[in-house]
Amino acid sequence: MQPILKVNLTTGQSEEYQIPKQWEKDFLGGASLAARILYSSLTRELNPLSADAPLLFLTGPMTGTSGPTTGRFVICGKGPATGLWAESNIGGHWGPELRAAGYDGMWITGKAEEPIYLWLNRGRLEVRSAAHLWGMNTYVAQDKVKEEIAEKSARVCVIGQAGEKQVLFASIMCDHGRMAGRTGMGAVMGAKNLKAIAVRGENEIPVFDLAKYKSLRSESNRRLRDDNEAKVLRDVGTGGAANYAEYLGAMPAKYYSQGSFPAVDEVSGARMTETILVGRSACQGCVIACGRVVKLPKDVMKRKGPEHETMVGFGANLLNDNLESIVDMGELCDRYGMDTISASNTIGLAFRLFDKGIITEKDAGGVDLKWGDVDAIEQLVRLTGSREGIGDLLAQGSKRFAAHFGVEEEAVQVNGLEVAYHDPRGVSGMALSYATSPRGACHNQSDYFSVDWGHTNDQLGIEFYSRHAQAEKAANVARHQDWRTVDNAIVMCIFANVEPQEKVDLINASCGLDWSVEDMMKFGERSWNLKRAINNRMGLNAQNDKLPEALLTPFPDGGSEGFVPDLEGMLSAYYDTRGWDWETGKPSREKLVELGLEEVAGDLWG
Amino acid sequence: MPAIFPSEEWLKGLEAKLNSDERYRDIAQKWEGDLFFIIEPDGNLKERLTFYLDLWHGACRRVEYNPKPESHPAPTFILSATYKNITAILTGSLNPMTAMMTSKLRINGSLGYMMRNVPTVLDFVRVAQSVTTEIL
Repeated sequence: MQPILKVNLTTGQSEEYQIPKQWEKDFLGGASLAARILYSSLTRELNPLSADAPLLFLTGPMTGTSGPTTGRFVICGKGPATGLWAESNIGGHWGPELRAAGYDGMWITGKAEEPIYLWLNRGRLEVRSAAHLWGMNTYVAQDKVKEEIAEKSARVCVIGQAGEKQVLFASIMCDHGRMAGRTGMGAVMGAKNLKAIAVRGENEIPVFDLAKYKSLRSESNRRLRDDNEAKVLRDVGTGGAANYAEYLGAMPAKYYSQGSFPAVDEVSGARMTETILVGRSACQGCVIACGRVVKLPKDVMKRKGPEHETMVGFGANLLNDNLESIVDMGELCDRYGMDTISASNTIGLAFRLFDKGIITEKDAGGVDLKWGDVDAIEQLVRLTGSREGIGDLLAQGSKRFAAHFGVEEEAVQVNGLEVAYHDPRGVSGMALSYATSPRGACHNQSDYFSVDWGHTNDQLGIEFYSRHAQAEKAANVARHQDWRTVDNAIVMCIFANVEPQEKVDLINASCGLDWSVEDMMKFGERSWNLKRAINNRMGLNAQNDKLPEALLTPFPDGGSEGFVPDLEGMLSAYYDTRGWDWETGKPSREKLVELGLEEVAGDLWG
Repeated sequence: MPAIFPSEEWLKGLEAKLNSDERYRDIAQKWEGDLFFIIEPDGNLKERLTFYLDLWHGACRRVEYNPKPESHPAPTFILSATYKNITAILTGSLNPMTAMMTSKLRINGSLGYMMRNVPTVLDFVRVAQSVTTEIL
């Protein structure tokens, strides 16, 4: 592997960090390797918004190689809202550019005295003032940085005003609309006074057996082009399954209190394709191209269209059936640099508390929080991004917002991360996905809803259980989590249907390994347990594996009316499968040793 | 009328059932599109077999047993699968959504339209299963 560029913003010094060879093999890259590298520095006492907090941008062994959907990288650290392991996965072109500049990652520590940005130009690092960029939104700042460095082909990671002001769900953006949205890594970057990182490189990206890899890559991309799901994503984007999710009662509406949203036809990927879609966009090397390019009647320029989470978050979640307004809200969040899931979820909570009389119009700064009111939604987005008025509370996320009003149980979050828009009352496997994810209520550590829809995998033994099955699917969920942990390490998009043997062949060719599918899955399990151990060391225990009240309250309507997951029964079966200790929530010593994590076993168990 | 799959009698039975089933008629009210099925040989099916169904607003307007592809040059959807997978769907051992999502049932046509109308697709499969009493 190439080295990681370690930059201390306090001193302005940088050095190359060589990844230990054994870690390359055991943890591969992306979020798994990041977890191993940061293991000892992520402590319970660490303030994630302090100078001591690390922020690691890390690619995978296939990033930038034009393998199937492998233009991605991860950004990792300690979550400011969760106090837990944080990883955020992002596409675009920045990761490939970093590798072409000679580094597999950038490890940021310290804090600059004044706002700065970094310019990594073909391996040479410059620290530049960003005082004049502070206060700019992410789109403008990216353009401005490129203009200043006079390098149109450079790629820029950037934060917006939300990151500067440390909104706890601030994102990091690149290529205008590509977002590392979840877990607030933009706030960590902002706390370091780091506005942007521009990179440009021209090196060949190293691949162990290039000839073999090219052949595998071509075959894999050819298959992917013709895959049914890839076609859906290309045709109608990630919002293409909106109608199906709504039909199942798996798309929460009105802040998780309704199981149906009759206006779904107005705010779906299909509707967007029929009305405002004018193009598609793709991350580096991706043959799917799920990105939407839209043009509204009022627009002069084409712009980014929303993906599924944004569409549900600013649509059904707020009873808003105005698709054009959702395009606007998505872009507004992008420009401020805020995760659209956490932003829309927390805004939904404000609407709910307003509805219940827990917060008043005065609390809301004079805004009448009427469900579906586009102007009210927009005002809350702006207030949150700028941390003004009630926005200062919203900027702290749903858990703290609800706690401020004495109703923490109303927040639909797990461990401080807002729940995404795949409801476990419609697809029960998501109960375990949310409750046990290492970063809070996350749908990307295991998008198990797709398995509950029918997306099984014969090679992995991931079978189909009824979408309302309970404990019997726990082992299936664990296996799916291990599988997705592999994706988050290499770093491959979870939308790519690349079969296990195909994936392991690509890994072997790119890294010089000799893995079997079971070796790959064992690697996934090792990484999953490592992240769990990091969280245990930071204070997470069995009591953290829970769901908010709303998700354990039956929907009054829709395709899943009356059903709630039996979380305790599911967790019991899950703990058995995982080899975790029911009392403490830790992986057992035996399990850790079995996975080759002896050092971690010693740290957790003495 | 229940019949052995695959046969012309089975296809006619499916046509009749689609036109008499109230639930299907309600769910498929918005469906507009003809289907051309290609069943690839394996197991007891020795040669490729095709079906054509013209489905429109909850009704089946026409079926054809084993037509040549050139007789329907531009159907709304072309669906192809092995005999093993088609029969697995008909007997209920393969979930139709699993077949779609894992590409065991290959689809040419607007996948977006298909996803928007999943309830219709699932109910079409329910009706097809109900007329299948025996597999060749």
